[in-house]
Amino acid sequence: MASLAPRRRTGASRERTATHEGFLAHRNYRWLKLSAALATLLIGLYLFVPLPGTHFGSSWLGYTLGTIGALLILWLTMLGVRKRAITPGRWSLKAWTSAHVYLGLLLIVVGTLHSGFAFGWNVHTLAWALMMLVIVSGMFGIWVYATLPRALSENRYDAEGAITEKQMVEAIRSLDRQIHDAAQPLDAENAVLVNRSLEEDPFAGTFWNRLTGRYPKDATRAAAGELRQRRAFLPRRADDPLDKVDALLTRKEAMLSRMRRHLKLKTWLQAWLYVHVPVTFALIAALSAHVVAVFFYW
Amino acid sequence: MTFLVRQIALKSNGEEIVRPSTIEGDELLIGRDSACAVHLPDLAVDPRHARARIERDGVLLVESLGEQPFEADGRSTKSRTIDPAVGAELGFGGHRLTVSRDADSGAPVITVRRIEAVSESAEDIDLGSAFTLKGLLPGKRASAWVFALAMLVAFLAVPIWTYATYQPLAMDKDARRPAGVHGDTAWKSGHLSLAHHNLENDCQACHTKAFVAVTDNACLTCHKEDAHSHIPDGARLLRARGEPQGMARLTQAVASTFNRPQGRCVGCHTEHEGAGAMPATRQQFCTDCHDGLRSRLPDSKLADAADFGTAHPQFRPSLIRTVAADGKPVFAQVSWAPGLKEANGLKFTHAQHLSHSNGVAQMVRRRPGQFAANDALGCQDCHKAEAGGARFKPVVMEEACESCHSLTFDQIGGTFRTLRHGQPEQVVADLRAYYRGGAPTRPAMLSGMARRIPGDAARTASAADYARAVHFYPTRGDQAVAQVFGKGGMCFDCHTVTRTGGAATDGFAVQKVAQNTRYYHVGWFDHTDHRKTDCATCHTRAKTSNDASDLLVPGLDGPGGCRSCHVGEDGAKLAGANVKDPVKSGCAMCHAYHMDGGEPWKPADERKKRAIVTTAVADRPRLPAVMR
Repeated sequence: MASLAPRRRTGASRERTATHEGFLAHRNYRWLKLSAALATLLIGLYLFVPLPGTHFGSSWLGYTLGTIGALLILWLTMLGVRKRAITPGRWSLKAWTSAHVYLGLLLIVVGTLHSGFAFGWNVHTLAWALMMLVIVSGMFGIWVYATLPRALSENRYDAEGAITEKQMVEAIRSLDRQIHDAAQPLDAENAVLVNRSLEEDPFAGTFWNRLTGRYPKDATRAAAGELRQRRAFLPRRADDPLDKVDALLTRKEAMLSRMRRHLKLKTWLQAWLYVHVPVTFALIAALSAHVVAVFFYW
Repeated sequence: MTFLVRQIALKSNGEEIVRPSTIEGDELLIGRDSACAVHLPDLAVDPRHARARIERDGVLLVESLGEQPFEADGRSTKSRTIDPAVGAELGFGGHRLTVSRDADSGAPVITVRRIEAVSESAEDIDLGSAFTLKGLLPGKRASAWVFALAMLVAFLAVPIWTYATYQPLAMDKDARRPAGVHGDTAWKSGHLSLAHHNLENDCQACHTKAFVAVTDNACLTCHKEDAHSHIPDGARLLRARGEPQGMARLTQAVASTFNRPQGRCVGCHTEHEGAGAMPATRQQFCTDCHDGLRSRLPDSKLADAADFGTAHPQFRPSLIRTVAADGKPVFAQVSWAPGLKEANGLKFTHAQHLSHSNGVAQMVRRRPGQFAANDALGCQDCHKAEAGGARFKPVVMEEACESCHSLTFDQIGGTFRTLRHGQPEQVVADLRAYYRGGAPTRPAMLSGMARRIPGDAARTASAADYARAVHFYPTRGDQAVAQVFGKGGMCFDCHTVTRTGGAATDGFAVQKVAQNTRYYHVGWFDHTDHRKTDCATCHTRAKTSNDASDLLVPGLDGPGGCRSCHVGEDGAKLAGANVKDPVKSGCAMCHAYHMDGGEPWKPADERKKRAIVTTAVADRPRLPAVMR
C-alpha cells in the first residue's frame, strides 16, 4: 500500500507555495487601518469641533488640515526618489509603497475637508482637482496592478512553456526570414504583397492601437487575406509556394497578436503613470501657487 | 565580353565575404529569379527585374524589363546608360549594385551588397524600450516639467504681475480695473457678498499690499459714512475681550506669527463666502467681550450681557422726566420696572377709552364706520404708525381726539367755528371776540313800533335790564375763557392748566406736552415685525391704566415683556419664563455693532421688503454715539 508521503519531503515539488504578501496587504493592512482611523478622526473633528466663521479653509482646523495635506503630498511624491534607492529594512520599499497607497487615499479626506466643500473656478479648487486626478489615477494603477499581471502571465504561457519578450521578437524575426525565403519563387505581384508584411514594424501603432489591441491596418493580415483571395481563383498545385507562405503568414499573425496582447496589457499597466507622475508635479506647482496666493492676498 | 560580379555577404562579426564570379556574354539579367546572373533574393525585386548590356565603347545600358523601376545614383529610373569608367550606384529593393571597371581586364564590375535587412523585425530592436510606451506618449519627465511650469506661470507669475500692475489703484474708492479677465482673480477663494459684488474684479481694492492682511483702512476707503467704530479706543476694545485662553490663545499666537492682526473689520465681516448676502454675525462675537465685561473693564457703565434668554440686563428706557418751557422734553434713562411714570404733561385714560361698556363705547356704536371697530375704540384709532412701520407717530389731537372732543363754539350757517388747539392765546382772543362782536338782543318793548304795557315803569325796567346786559356783555367772554380752561372745561380734560399765564391768556397756562416716540435707543424694536400680535399682548397695562403718565412700554420680563416670546440664540430661557412659542434671538436681532441709531443689519433673507424707514424725529436728543 502506497503511503501518502508528503511530496515536500523531497523538496522537488513543482508546486510553488505563495508566501508573497503584496504591498496592499503589507503587515496585515497596517497602513489601511491607520489611514481609516485617521480619516474617521478627521471627519469627526470636521463635524463636531465648533469653529468661528464659516470659511472653513481659514479656520484653525482648516489650516491644520491644509498643512498636513501639503506635507503629505510632498512625502507621497518622495516614493519616486525612494524606489530608486533599493534598500531593505524597516522601511522596505514594500512598506513605503503600502503607506504611499493608503496615506494617498487618506489625502482625499484631508484635502476635501480642508476645502470645506467650497469649490469654484480658482487655483484652490484646481489644486484639489489635480490632487483628486492623481489619487484616482493611482487607484486605477492599483486596480491594474492587482488584476492584469495574471492575464499577462497567461498570455505568455502556452503548451511549450513561457515566452519572454525577447523570444517574442526572435520568433517574429525567424518567421520573417522563413517567409522571405518561402516567397522567393513568387511572382512580382505576390512578392510585393508578402514584402509588405516583412516591412511592417511589429511595434508600429499608435498609443490608441496599443491600448485597444486593435490594428485595423495590419499589413500581415492584409497580405494574408489578399493572398488567399488570389489563390481562391488559382488551380491547386502540389508544391505551390503560396501554400507555404500562407501557412507562415498565419503563424506570424498568431505570434503578432500574442505580442500585441502583451503590449496591450503592458500599456494598461504603464499608461496610468503617464497621468499620475506628471499631474503630481502639476499638483505641486498648483499647490505652491495656492499657498502663495493665500499669503499674498492675506 | 564579360561581366565581373562580386556578391558581398557579411559575417556575423561584420567581416565581408566576397564571392566573385565571371559572366560571359555582353548582357546579364538582374532579378530575384535564381536563373538571373545577378541574383537578388529580395521580395522587392521582380523575378526578372532588369537587364544590363554592354554597348559599344564599353558603355553599360541598364533597363527595366517590366514596369518596375530601379534606382540609379539615388534617382528612380527605368533605363540608364553607365560608363563603368565613371561608375554608378544602382538600387534594387534592399540591394545596392556598384558599377565600376576592372582595372586589369577593363570589364565592367558589378558589386552586389545587401544593405537592408530581410524584414523590419530583423532590424535592431531595443528590447528595453520596445515594450514600453516610449515614443508613443510624451515622456513623464517632460510633461511633468511642462505641466508644472504652466501652472506656475498661469497661477503664480501672471497673478503677481496683475497685482503689480494694478496695485496703484488701491485705496481709491472709485478706481476700477478695466473689465475682462485678470490673472489674480484665479486666486479668488469664493465669490464676494452681494454688497461687494462690484469689487469682484478688483482684488487690489481690499488686498492693497502683498503679504499684508486686509486693513481697516481698505474698508474705510468706501465706508466713510456708514461704519461707525464700536468704540474709538481700539486698545480698550481688545482689553474688553481679555486674554484668550486655551485653543483661542494658540490660534491668536499663530495668527500673530503670520502677520494677521486681531480686531480688524474683516474679523467679523468675513468675505469670499459665496455670492449672496453676508452671513449674520453670530452672538459669540458680542459675548466674547460683553459676557463678564465688568470684570475686565471695571469702569464700564454697561452691564454684563450674554445670551438674551438668560443673561441680559434689564432694559433702560429713556423717559420724559419733564417738559421744558420751550416744549422740548427732558429725558432720563431709568431701569425698567413695573409702575414707572412718565411726565408727558397729558391726561388720558387708556382704560376708559378702550372700554367696551361705557359712554365711549356707546359713542362708537352710534357712529358706525367712523372707527376701526364698531363696538369700542381701538389703539389704531389714535395711534398711527410711522412710514415704514417701525414706530408710531405722536398722537395728533386734531386727528385722534377732536372727532369726539370737539372744540366747536359757534355755528354760522352750516359752518362750525373751532377754537385753535395748541394756541391758548388764540383761544382766549376768539372767545373774547365772540362775546364782543354784538350787543345782547334788544328787547322788543324798547323799539318804537312795539306794543307796550301802558305806563313807563315796564319800559324803564326793560331799559335798565338792557343797559345792564349791554354793560356786562364782555364779562361773559371772560367767563367762557375761565370755563374752557377751568376744571371741567375742554382744555382741562386733557391738559394740565395752571394760573401762571399772562394777560393774553387771562392768566391761564397750559403745560407743554411731549410724546415719547422711542423708548429704547440702544436696542432696535420694529412694530412691523410684531404686527400680527395684538397690541395688548405686550402693552398689557393699556386696558387698565387710567393715568397718562403710566409707562405702558414693556420691559425685559414680566407680563408682556420681551422674554414672553424671545429666548436666547440657542433657545435658552430663564427657568421661570413660560414661553409658548419661543423666538430664537441673537444679539444682532436688536443690536447693531456700529451704533448709528438705525436698524441693526440683517442678512437679506431675513430682511422684509418695506418702504424707507424714517427714524429721525427732529426734537429727539440723540444718545451719544460712543458709550463710555
